[in-house]
Amino acid sequence: MPNPGSIAGPVASLINEFSKLPTVGPKTAARLVFYLLNRPRSEAQSLAEAILAVKDRVRLCSICFSITEEDPCPLCTDERRDRSLLCVVAEAKDIYSLERTSAYKGRYHVLGGLISPMDGIGPGQLRVKQLVDRVGSERPQEIVIATNPNAEGEATALYLSRLLVPLGVTVTRLAYGLPIGGDLDYADEVTLAKALEGRRTL
Amino acid sequence: MRLSWLALSNVRNYAALDFHPAPGLNVFIGANAQGKSNLLEAISLLGTGKSFRTNREADLIASGFQSASVSGGAHVRAGSVNLSCTVTATSRGTRKAYSANGRPVRYAAFLGTLNVVTFVPADLQLIAGAPSGRRRVLNGALAQEQPLYYRDLVRYQKALAQKSALLRSADEPDADLMAVYNETLVAAGTALMLARDRFVTAANAEAGRAHAAWSGGRETLELRYEPNVPYEIPTGEAIGAALAQRLRAAAAAERARRIPLAGPHRDDLGLLLDGRSLAAYGSQGQQRTAVLALKVAEYTVMHQRTGEAPLLLLDDVLSELDADRARAFLEGVEAYEQAFVTATHLPHDLPQSRVFTIEAAVLREIASTARARAC
Repeated sequence: MPNPGSIAGPVASLINEFSKLPTVGPKTAARLVFYLLNRPRSEAQSLAEAILAVKDRVRLCSICFSITEEDPCPLCTDERRDRSLLCVVAEAKDIYSLERTSAYKGRYHVLGGLISPMDGIGPGQLRVKQLVDRVGSERPQEIVIATNPNAEGEATALYLSRLLVPLGVTVTRLAYGLPIGGDLDYADEVTLAKALEGRRTL
Repeated sequence: MRLSWLALSNVRNYAALDFHPAPGLNVFIGANAQGKSNLLEAISLLGTGKSFRTNREADLIASGFQSASVSGGAHVRAGSVNLSCTVTATSRGTRKAYSANGRPVRYAAFLGTLNVVTFVPADLQLIAGAPSGRRRVLNGALAQEQPLYYRDLVRYQKALAQKSALLRSADEPDADLMAVYNETLVAAGTALMLARDRFVTAANAEAGRAHAAWSGGRETLELRYEPNVPYEIPTGEAIGAALAQRLRAAAAAERARRIPLAGPHRDDLGLLLDGRSLAAYGSQGQQRTAVLALKVAEYTVMHQRTGEAPLLLLDDVLSELDADRARAFLEGVEAYEQAFVTATHLPHDLPQSRVFTIEAAVLREIASTARARAC
């Protein structure tokens, strides 16, 4: 890490700001800053403006709680999307992953996190009530729970299914198992056991 | 299995070490604080990803450095495998990375490649100590032997921590959420209990056999699985039903006391001599002998079940035993393929072994004997 005393104040302060970002350490931060120093002013300006625009113009959709510029968001207003399917994700970024597949044509609901009492996050801290209300008013046929396959994602999925199944809706969750193009030889025992548990008829 | 080479980098007092152990017995002699235990600790890190001495993993990193790394090559039944474990200091503690044959692997996949059984002086307090120490013996052996046991243990512990937090958070915690955690506790807990039951049954036979040989059949040692939630027969169905029923029955008391009261996190391993509790009635000597038998059993059962002899790590423990017990122990684990032993003085009557001195983290071979004698 550069010695803070030996470097111009604005440079040190930008390195400091960059290194607060996830996955960016002090070395990467320094590389980014020295890269920007060598670029034209216009490029730095458009980066700065893009960052501010994210904060100023993006807000949460009042229906699905995804991030959007207009409320309701384009995914919620798009009439071509299947109203009988509702996919529950933890974070708005998960919508981005699912949309890249082009395999899902329904709507979304963003919980805003996963249940974890250890971290002070109970159902009340997430948009669970809003989900139950939507199931009541929009009457989807199937809820697809797309939380991560870890302990918190699993508990959240089981909890939601306890709330939603009595409402007369089918609740499903994403399958666990082997990656496509993978090789049984290289699958760890735990994943392989999960895949075996979740086997299906051909 | 057998370790063919071991390399240390910035691990405790070792700046760098490149060591080629022999098959059989490797004995390290040296004064205190020269690095004998550190060497065994490094081997255990390669096997279990954990230190047998400390929970403060930052202590493993030599002072003034950012990371410590242990790598080694092992001959296992499937062929030869190169393993490494690197501990790196971070702003929030430490981070560990594992690799097998040069590819990064997750801990769950790393564990169980190179199995180790450790025996340290603190183990001699196992019988008089708290149940957590005896549960650690069961968990340590089973997690190395069965990857799925480790998965279930982690699942159980995570769900238990969440349930504890939920109980603390409110007088009337969300009943649906409580049911979700209890469901996970029953599923994972049943698997743990079933595996523990079978392990203790197998270990009981081995410990009894070893003990009978040493006592000339005058005393009978029994290991007994003492589950917190009793059940009729050791099947998944019976255990699952008993555990679910007990959690339902304990629900009100758990809410009142705000802690999880029932389940395999409160299991114990009972050791009895002629039907009487060793913790309550056993002499120091009887307790020591029983711990030796328990360690022989741990070793033998792992050997039988994995089809491979684990590495045996004996840290400064032979000196805690009288000559008869030390010899009895080494005879009990006769089938060991490779063992690492530290001592301040060369023990009497060791089987064929290679002997090294360790002084200020420098290894020097002093003898390779058919039968090393005390110096």
